[in-house]
Amino acid sequence: MNRKCLVYGFWSVTLALFVASVAMLFLYTPIEKTMGPVQKIFYLHLPIAINTFLACFVVFIASIGYLWQRKMWWDDLAFAAGKVAVLYCSVVLLTGMIWGKSAWGSWWTWSPRLTFSLVLWLLFVVYLMIRPSIDSPQRRAMISAVYGIVAFIDVPFVYLSVKLLPDIHPASIALAPAMKLTVLVWFLPITLLALGLLRAGYLLNRQIRTESQRNQNMVFESAPPASPTPMEELA
Amino acid sequence: MNRTLRQIGLLIQKDLRIEARGRQTIGLVIVLGILIIVVLGMGLGAGRPVSGFGATSILWVTYLFGGVLCFEKTMAVERFDDALAGLLIAPIDRGVIYASKLITNLLLIIGLALVVTPVAMTLFRFDLSEHPLAFFIVMSLGVTGFTAVGTLFSAAVSSTRLQGGLLAMLVFPLSLPVVIMSTQLMRKVFEEGVPLTSTDVATLCAFDMIFLIVSWLVFELVLEP
Amino acid sequence: MLKTSDQPVTITTIKHANAKVMSPSTAIRARGLGKEIDDWRILLNLNFEIPRGAYVAILGANGAGKSTLLKILATLLPASTGQLELFGMPVRNNTIRLRSNIGLIGHNSMLYRDLSARENLIFFARLYDHAAPVQRVDELLQYVGLHHRADDPVKTLSRGMLQRIAIARALVHDPDLLLADEPFTGLDAPSCKLLQELLSHQHAAGKTIMLVNHDIRQSLELAERIIVLRKGKIIIDEPSVNLEAESILEGIST
Repeated sequence: MNRKCLVYGFWSVTLALFVASVAMLFLYTPIEKTMGPVQKIFYLHLPIAINTFLACFVVFIASIGYLWQRKMWWDDLAFAAGKVAVLYCSVVLLTGMIWGKSAWGSWWTWSPRLTFSLVLWLLFVVYLMIRPSIDSPQRRAMISAVYGIVAFIDVPFVYLSVKLLPDIHPASIALAPAMKLTVLVWFLPITLLALGLLRAGYLLNRQIRTESQRNQNMVFESAPPASPTPMEELA
Repeated sequence: MNRTLRQIGLLIQKDLRIEARGRQTIGLVIVLGILIIVVLGMGLGAGRPVSGFGATSILWVTYLFGGVLCFEKTMAVERFDDALAGLLIAPIDRGVIYASKLITNLLLIIGLALVVTPVAMTLFRFDLSEHPLAFFIVMSLGVTGFTAVGTLFSAAVSSTRLQGGLLAMLVFPLSLPVVIMSTQLMRKVFEEGVPLTSTDVATLCAFDMIFLIVSWLVFELVLEP
Repeated sequence: MLKTSDQPVTITTIKHANAKVMSPSTAIRARGLGKEIDDWRILLNLNFEIPRGAYVAILGANGAGKSTLLKILATLLPASTGQLELFGMPVRNNTIRLRSNIGLIGHNSMLYRDLSARENLIFFARLYDHAAPVQRVDELLQYVGLHHRADDPVKTLSRGMLQRIAIARALVHDPDLLLADEPFTGLDAPSCKLLQELLSHQHAAGKTIMLVNHDIRQSLELAERIIVLRKGKIIIDEPSVNLEAESILEGIST
């Protein structure tokens, strides 16, 4: 009961913050001179991009955790984080393309940043795609974990490699103080949404896992469900 | 140290002997490579000279597909009749198995490259004579990194039944940085005439080193029977 | 005198290098041994001690944990809990050293099908740092009675012959501990008989043998001691003379 209240409370706060951020974006934040109203997409773009990295980092940590302890809940966590990473990265890619359309007149340019998001997106989409094609849960968890670790280590090299591409992107945009404040405010709902999605995905994965284990009618005795996982304690 | 090297040599010798018996892998990947070049040649307009940039892209496609086939084949040898278990209970370090598979795969890819590269040069009239050394350094470092990752995942994947395409799915995206890096470096060298800097070479080396070390660390876990 | 379908075989004597470093009288000592794979407990708190030179059969239903136990004994899998000592040495810190004293026979041959029997065996002899691989392999091929097929690719041999070469492979370094994981599966009667004889001969030569098997009567006949696993626990651990097939079957199935 108490837990349910907390969950509802959490989502209400997130929603309220979203509404507030949108209101702030349109009522308070000044319109940027060169780009016009399209520049407002930036306030969504940057926090989501940073949260994408955080999600990838969670995949990395959970993958190491799985290889270290061999507990399935690590795999469930990594999978949930992978989904969040792909979702957020898709938004980054789309907002980036919209930006590119209005700034340079075409949906796609092989600019370092766009290419970087595309490669990152590919890396983690593959992470999600390979999972269903591996039957054994142990092998799936193991291969995904190794992939998750290598993929995260890959990210800095992707960054270094795309830097070799010819760049037409402005290095950085000078922001007015009001604009900076808007970006900071936007971080809140977007990070909360990521956390909420991560938790929901994780619990869903746990539930699917326990059901499939029950259905397997294993000859072995199940380990005690005792080990309360950190996420469940949080919840 | 001596013992380790001898064991690695023994394992490579065994792999190459099996390969020599059937010649199933090297023949296959070379023909595949030539096929890819012909298909690309038709699409890109045969006969027109191709820059170093185009050359590396085309060669990378053949190396990537041929390489993945090599990785699959060299590990399949171990999976048949559980031969790998025979290696695992022998008193050798898991790193020895990784090193030997890595070197066997590299030798096979070098074999592929030695045939496919001149064929592509002739068919496309590549002109690599301006900077052959830069081309050689960048491509060999790139292929090493790709092989390091590929060898690791070949061990992980070949014990699952559904392996058709799965290995390629795992290895291609992870090798993207090295592919982008080498094609971009080649573009700079051949089109802009910017010489290869030590930073570029160091970045490629760092990629190779990090992936060799990570693969070596994780390989033991991946190999579990 | 044994006969197989292809060639009469006599079990000749084979030299044993008895000057091994490891000499305690206990081959295996397991204390509270347990194994969890992911969320499943495969083995629970196993305690047993196998003296040197014993012939032990491990029985149990499918999924009782027999193969996992054998893999742990073979140092292929680490135990999750408890201690395991082989020849008085804890497995954890001496894995590589102990491996040179363990031989494993599985239901797969663990051979490279494109190489000949001789090439396979010489490869493994070198891998185990045998001083004279060529002579050793000659000796072993005589021992398993396949000298006449030694240079044919392994893939052309019958299943019974493969299993004989698999035994030669397991003996290439003259290990003191022989582990066999259902080696009789899929063999015809003569090959099965020959394999039994080879194992008994190794036992007579002082090897410790751990045999995972599903044929209860055969195990009672062959082994001196029977360990029965059920759901990852030992339910029977007795000399085979005290046991009857019916009671074991009952123990396994209930």
